[in-house]
Amino acid sequence: MSNDLLPSSQLPGVTRFQWQQLLGPIVVVVIVAYAASSVSASFAFLTEGTLALLVMVLALQVLIGNSGVLSFGQAAFAMVGGFATGLLTVPVRIKENVLDELWEPLKMINMGIYPSLVIAVAIGAFLAFITGLFLMRLSGLAAGIATFAVLMVADNVLFNWKLIGPGPQVMPQVPKFGFIDESIAIAVLVMIVVYLIGISRRGRLLRATREDALAARALGASIWRLRVLFFTASGGIAALSGAMYAHHAGAVSARDFYLGFTFTTLAMLVIGGASSVWGAVVGTILVTAIGQVLLVFEGGVTLGSIEFTLPNGVRGLVIAAALVVILIWRPRGVTGGKEFRVPFLSRT
Amino acid sequence: MIQTILDALSYGGLYGLAALGIGLVFGVMRLVNFAHGELIAIGAYLLIVTIDLGLPISISIAVTGTAILALLMEFSVFKRLRVAEPSVLLIASFGVSVFLQRLYEVIFGALPLSGQIAPWMTGVIEFGDTTITRGSLVTIGLALVLLGGMWFFIEKTTLGLQIRAASSDFQTARLLGVRSNRVIGAAFVFSGVLAAAVAFVLVTQRGSVDPLFGVNITILALVGTVIGGLGSLQGAALGGFAVGTTISLLNSFLGNYRIYTYTWLFILVIIVLLVRPGGLISNKAVKERV
Repeated sequence: MSNDLLPSSQLPGVTRFQWQQLLGPIVVVVIVAYAASSVSASFAFLTEGTLALLVMVLALQVLIGNSGVLSFGQAAFAMVGGFATGLLTVPVRIKENVLDELWEPLKMINMGIYPSLVIAVAIGAFLAFITGLFLMRLSGLAAGIATFAVLMVADNVLFNWKLIGPGPQVMPQVPKFGFIDESIAIAVLVMIVVYLIGISRRGRLLRATREDALAARALGASIWRLRVLFFTASGGIAALSGAMYAHHAGAVSARDFYLGFTFTTLAMLVIGGASSVWGAVVGTILVTAIGQVLLVFEGGVTLGSIEFTLPNGVRGLVIAAALVVILIWRPRGVTGGKEFRVPFLSRT
Repeated sequence: MIQTILDALSYGGLYGLAALGIGLVFGVMRLVNFAHGELIAIGAYLLIVTIDLGLPISISIAVTGTAILALLMEFSVFKRLRVAEPSVLLIASFGVSVFLQRLYEVIFGALPLSGQIAPWMTGVIEFGDTTITRGSLVTIGLALVLLGGMWFFIEKTTLGLQIRAASSDFQTARLLGVRSNRVIGAAFVFSGVLAAAVAFVLVTQRGSVDPLFGVNITILALVGTVIGGLGSLQGAALGGFAVGTTISLLNSFLGNYRIYTYTWLFILVIIVLLVRPGGLISNKAVKERV
């Protein structure tokens, strides 16, 4: 890495393409995903869900990691993605029986999972573009609250408007992915895209605006344009995550993507380290692993002659505590915001 | 009609109190405290658990307990994040908020605890042919008293002066001898007291408390604090009041479409932020340079 001259805290994020930075996280995700899903059917199901979350964390990383703008609103685009793919793939017969208030043309549409994923991403990116045009004029806390307002509007509309969805109910019978390989392939694809976007000229320029807005402006960077661009990319990827989640769970509802989802994915990103793809990967795996271990304990574990049972709620408690402790102890996350590097490999 | 106006005023007063609690802490340390809702929730839990001891004792326990929890938050978490950026503080308070929600779930269970705190507040008073609920009058009275009390404290006492100084320019205030930890501690204590007052009104209205009790009002009060103008205490109270009255009026006038109240409210919030990113009463200390 080129930042040996300066304390690493001054140069988060990468500047130059390195194969190990891209391939490292991919290899880790592929190995962990296949290993975990070979344990049992329930682990395979969990892995598939976690891959959808990983894509969401990457969506947050693209925006927050590169621009430094805090967004609580990306879950809104996941919600839109989940609803879009649900409406496009649920069999017509089911829609006629369960979602009788749905707008007629929407009832008639039906297509396969993959074309639907593409459309979901396009819708999510388009809505993010429109929203971003307005919201990316703001920064700091005003941006945080305004993006949060977007989440509230999306939740309120999708939770109530039965013309374009199931309203407060669950949209059932969303076709599921056939194999775990599909989710793994999508996640890997997103990791490549996110890494390449981050390392592109615009990505580096946007990170420059994050570190010193005035200097970046002097270099000719339009902060607003760059942020809108990355907000759009982030919205598209978030929509993909929501759609993956819908095809994973076989159902979708507005409340799948509300405050809990926002908190979990944001915690994953911050715990891992917001300024790198590697941080997003580490955070997602770490939080899921901690959650699984605690879930086992909540069910009761016998060690020797003593049986431990944790009360419900302890899982969320520990994850929230971990988030706070990491913010105090390592504000840049457990990876320190650095990209993956092969240990002991000579410096390039 | 009178009831509609009184409802709007009492909602506004309640949200104003919650927003002022958030604004006090924001002013002195640039922390947007999501966990304010959990202060409100602990106040409500303490009221319901101790109500058998009589209302005055129960209220004193709730106020003390809430203020202690607020101080505990400051000492265990936020004190260690003094140099962190506002966005990091925001995420940390989000973490504290979820942590406390889960803690309440572990201690009190996920299901609502119910209890009658002040049954007389749910009654109505009749004036000729108009009836108004006693609760809205009490809420307006409580809000007036507390806002007046806070105004007196902020404007007329030395500690209040120090809080104002720290809110407008923290570094200079420190250089001039304002003891920062004491001022921040005081802000947390008062935000705890205000949270307990909000808890009292809410728990008499709802009659039960659950781990997510304070989330809704905190989100709305937070929004109020931001659109009112972060860093300005009048702005915070005013913003909270504006959000509360807007919700109440939208609820009255949207009729069957009141399920979309939040959509309209948050669209208005976005518009206000776009037109005045610094809030209705803006404070230049909050603005980012460039």
